[in-house]
Amino acid sequence: MVLMKEKETVKGKQLLLTFIRDHIWSYVAGILILLFSSFCAMLIPKILGIITDGLDKRNMAREQIYQYVLLMLGAIILVFILKYIWRYLLIGNCRTVECYLRDNLFKHLQTLSVDFYSHHKTGDLVAYAINDIQAVRFMFGGGFVQALDGITISVVSIIFMANTINPILTVMALAPVPVAAVIMVRIGKLIRERFKRVQEAFADISDKVQENLSGIRVIKAFAQEREEVLNFTKFSQSRVDTQMKLTQASAIMGPSAQICFGFSFLFFIVYGSRLVMDGTISLGDYIAFNTYMITVMGPVMNISKIIETWQRGIASYRRLNEIFCVPPALEGTVSICDVCEIKGKIEIRNLSFTYPKANRRALKDINIQLEQGKTLGILGKTGSGKTTLINLLLRLFDVKDGHIFVDGIDINKIPVDVLRECIGYVPQDNFLFSTTIKNNIEFFKPVHSDDEIEEVSKISAIYDNIMELQEGFDTVVGERGTTLSGGQKQRVSIARALIKDPSILILDDSLSAVDSKTEETILGNIRDVLESRTGIIISHRISTVMHADEIIYLENGRIVERGTHAQLMELEANYFKLYKTQTNQAETLEEVVK
Amino acid sequence: MNSLDREKQAGSDKFQFARLMGYYRPYLPLLLLSMVLVLVINAAVLIKPYIIKHVIDSYITKGINDRSALWTMGIIYFVLVVIGAIFTYAQSYILTYVGQKIMFNIRNSLFTHIQNMSMSFFDRNSTGRILTRVTNDVEALNDLFSGVLVNLFRDFVMVIGIVATMAFMDFRLMLVSVSCIPLIVLATVIYRIAARKNFIRMKSMIARINGFLAENISGMKLVQIFHREKEKFRELEELDREYFKFSFREIILNSFSRPLVDIINNLTIAVLIYFCTERVIGNTLEIGLLYAFITYIKQFFDPISTISEQYTTIQSAVVSSGRIFEILDTVDVQEDIHGGRPLGPVRGEIEFKNVWFAYNEEEWILKDLSFKIEAGETAAFVGATGSGKSTIISLLTRFYDIQKGEILLDGVNIKEFNLLDLRRQVSVVLQDVFLFSGDILSNIRLNNSEITDAEIETASKYVNAGGFIEQLPDKYHEKVKERGCTFSAGQRQLISFARAVAFKPSILVLDEATANIDTETELVIQNALAKITKGRTSIIIAHRLSTIRNADKIIVIHKGRLKEMGRHTELMEAEGVYSRLYRLQVTKK
Repeated sequence: MVLMKEKETVKGKQLLLTFIRDHIWSYVAGILILLFSSFCAMLIPKILGIITDGLDKRNMAREQIYQYVLLMLGAIILVFILKYIWRYLLIGNCRTVECYLRDNLFKHLQTLSVDFYSHHKTGDLVAYAINDIQAVRFMFGGGFVQALDGITISVVSIIFMANTINPILTVMALAPVPVAAVIMVRIGKLIRERFKRVQEAFADISDKVQENLSGIRVIKAFAQEREEVLNFTKFSQSRVDTQMKLTQASAIMGPSAQICFGFSFLFFIVYGSRLVMDGTISLGDYIAFNTYMITVMGPVMNISKIIETWQRGIASYRRLNEIFCVPPALEGTVSICDVCEIKGKIEIRNLSFTYPKANRRALKDINIQLEQGKTLGILGKTGSGKTTLINLLLRLFDVKDGHIFVDGIDINKIPVDVLRECIGYVPQDNFLFSTTIKNNIEFFKPVHSDDEIEEVSKISAIYDNIMELQEGFDTVVGERGTTLSGGQKQRVSIARALIKDPSILILDDSLSAVDSKTEETILGNIRDVLESRTGIIISHRISTVMHADEIIYLENGRIVERGTHAQLMELEANYFKLYKTQTNQAETLEEVVK
Repeated sequence: MNSLDREKQAGSDKFQFARLMGYYRPYLPLLLLSMVLVLVINAAVLIKPYIIKHVIDSYITKGINDRSALWTMGIIYFVLVVIGAIFTYAQSYILTYVGQKIMFNIRNSLFTHIQNMSMSFFDRNSTGRILTRVTNDVEALNDLFSGVLVNLFRDFVMVIGIVATMAFMDFRLMLVSVSCIPLIVLATVIYRIAARKNFIRMKSMIARINGFLAENISGMKLVQIFHREKEKFRELEELDREYFKFSFREIILNSFSRPLVDIINNLTIAVLIYFCTERVIGNTLEIGLLYAFITYIKQFFDPISTISEQYTTIQSAVVSSGRIFEILDTVDVQEDIHGGRPLGPVRGEIEFKNVWFAYNEEEWILKDLSFKIEAGETAAFVGATGSGKSTIISLLTRFYDIQKGEILLDGVNIKEFNLLDLRRQVSVVLQDVFLFSGDILSNIRLNNSEITDAEIETASKYVNAGGFIEQLPDKYHEKVKERGCTFSAGQRQLISFARAVAFKPSILVLDEATANIDTETELVIQNALAKITKGRTSIIIAHRLSTIRNADKIIVIHKGRLKEMGRHTELMEAEGVYSRLYRLQVTKK
């Protein structure tokens, strides 16, 4: 396990390394151009200095001064162009990284098991794919470039100051810089801590309000409004307090740096001026020096921001890496057989199954023999193992070899895509994507003719409903479109399964939201469809499964009763009892009252 | 929002801004103080280049090596820096304080306002929506209150200050320098417009990617089963590519904007030098002055850039405030929690007299309903889903007010009582128990500090909840996590029984309180039920008729009307709806 983990950690890292390797030339070129542009930018104060000297000493012809002015302009334009190029290369890369990481993350997510999704909230995963990847982008782009640019500018400035102007003045003027840098880093850390507290205070308010609103009925029923307001005020005050604490730290950052640099200017005015009068440096140098000082201040003030960008980026990168390290659901299984079609004979032998991380067996000693073209009905209470059985048939979870056979071949040896392509599955929860009905039925693979789509909608008794909609099959459903009722959604799901022309059709309690009349119609239609196919129908209602060739009754993962409807009725056990209650319930309260 | 509403919205933007500014009123002195500080800070910034100029022109170029004078200049410069720094700190602190205080006030008045809304408000507005108003929308005002006004003032003063200082030093050079302002303004405005447009597009692309991911992660199982990974991946790639387009355009825009301002700056400097060369050589212009001008030109950009930023802040604050005001202005569904006659413990005689009620106009839920429950009686309501049973309870505690008829408590119309007092006399136990984060104690007493720990224990034992609570590791101090999901439905229900009893109500209401509970716990609850309903007016709603057969009065409601009323035996003898219903349920078992 440890060994495996090590190997997999490389996987996440590998992704970034691969990216950098693929874009190595743009990085090299970008960095070189950045260095060169910083150098050119640092020439401008120098030129300004030369012009000043020319004016001061009056030893330069007017034309010569104009030439220097032109040179300065040239340098400015050159810097502009270079800056543009390196930004294009380096920051452009980080935007590519963003999309590259997201694409790869999603690709990886697609391979993960149902189990993974039951342990991770959708919202969290979306946050990984958006926020964390953006944090990595900031590190790669702004964080990287600012650090590089800051260092280059400072180094070049200092070299110019010390080399071409005066080393002693440089040392004196820059003496406060390390102090300022240390202060920036220290306060930066303090700010981050306090900012976290501000966020916590905000989250507390949010939680408080959320809870209050969800429980508003209780609060009103017990007349707790005033106390709730008092409580809320405490949270609200804490938000104010944390913010003031944060401001105490953050507002000191700029001013303290200013005071540090104030010393620099003090030395500069007192000592630098004297150097000019001594003739050690020229007036032009004096002015250029002043500009360099201001230039060096910039990156120092930025240090803590850069550190923060890096810290966040690294934390996010670690989080992403964790996801990248989750092994795919079907990793390591090799499908040897080159079957490409399945007829639909299903055999289950002595199957027991325990979900990963669970300690109770979800299925025990299941034996089923389902010939091609026959239909199996499954009944049982919630949690009795019905859906688990289907999950295993769909290979959403892996079972050991030798328990499940399709067409006589061990399920583990059949390529997953072939297996799933041959199964038409109608899930319990009727999940539709927010796209057109047509797209939902074809399920994003437009290879079917309109006639086919119409036909399956007729079988699933949804055709008339769809035609009543203004845009028919092109109506967008889901979040941003027309909302279909639960029953309508279920029927679209059935059409979605049927259009695949599957050899095995599985209905997982898929008619629960459909009224009994429509259910009858659909069941009638489906019986025709199932003539030539293998069918598995799960239900709570006897009426849905009573016509199956074999019906099994599950309890706590075990088959407790099996047989045809007639056989099970004779048993006078669970099935019989269920039948009784359900036929009784048909006379609803409503009817009685009338 | 339709177009008409939008127009109205636009028209009220100015009004809203004025209303927002009204929140400054209690803090006007602080606001003025911070403006004074701003003036000093700006002055310090403006004087600094002048000192350098003075050093160059009065000492360096003239060759006057006056040590003490240089020290004086240096120290003045340093003092200016320190004053600027301290004042900047003070100013940020004051502004944050004012901003936070205002947000605190808005947030609290908003929350108080919401607390006093009637139930119909909560029916109409989703939790998420209200939550956003109290949290994010208030938060969005932060930048407005702790910045905008003073910053605008600061920036305008700065620009004017620079121009004035320049004019004071040399009027003609000022004109040359100022010539760059229109260019900078133009460049900034164009950039802002383009960047904003692009930013909005980028945001909407990110929102689409977000939606795509949320949907596809929820539906991942389906995608895997139907083997559409490739198609879905291509869809994301497409979205990402589209996003990248705007994302990259942002880089291009950003790469242009700041360097462009640099170019304009430097261009102005070049023009300035060109103009000055003649005069410096002709000795009519001091070189230090030229340098001071160069410094001032560089200082133009920041205030101009931030002024345009402020506009965006104002815009988004106005949008948020619009949503906040919308809630604050909703007064018609406010409950009157102060008015009415105070009410102590009551006998508990309840009478509905020809009550008509509808949630929505004319869709009558209750029609001409009349019944009377004597003090101390246990009454049970029976009826199909949607017959109006639960509505009756909501009306009793005045969650909604009736349209016609009267509801009397001890012979007095309930509208005459103080609302909170009335509700304190009625404890309701619902099917879905809501537990707050905290511990068991705080969930039983809620915020009512008058209920002692001992009373809570007594109440818990009384309703048979004591047994399971005492087996918990921390007993009554056991933390309630995630809305109580660590407890079983039955345990949660027992806690809510304890809560209801601890409040010592005159009237107890149980709305489907025993549905969805395993048989074992149900026995425990049934036992508790018998105890707590004794000698207290109680109203029970239950599907299972076996739970209510001992009630003093069974009231059968159908479609909002009274169908039958009487004791179990009476109703059974009457051979009506109830008896048929009862027989049906019994034979099923």
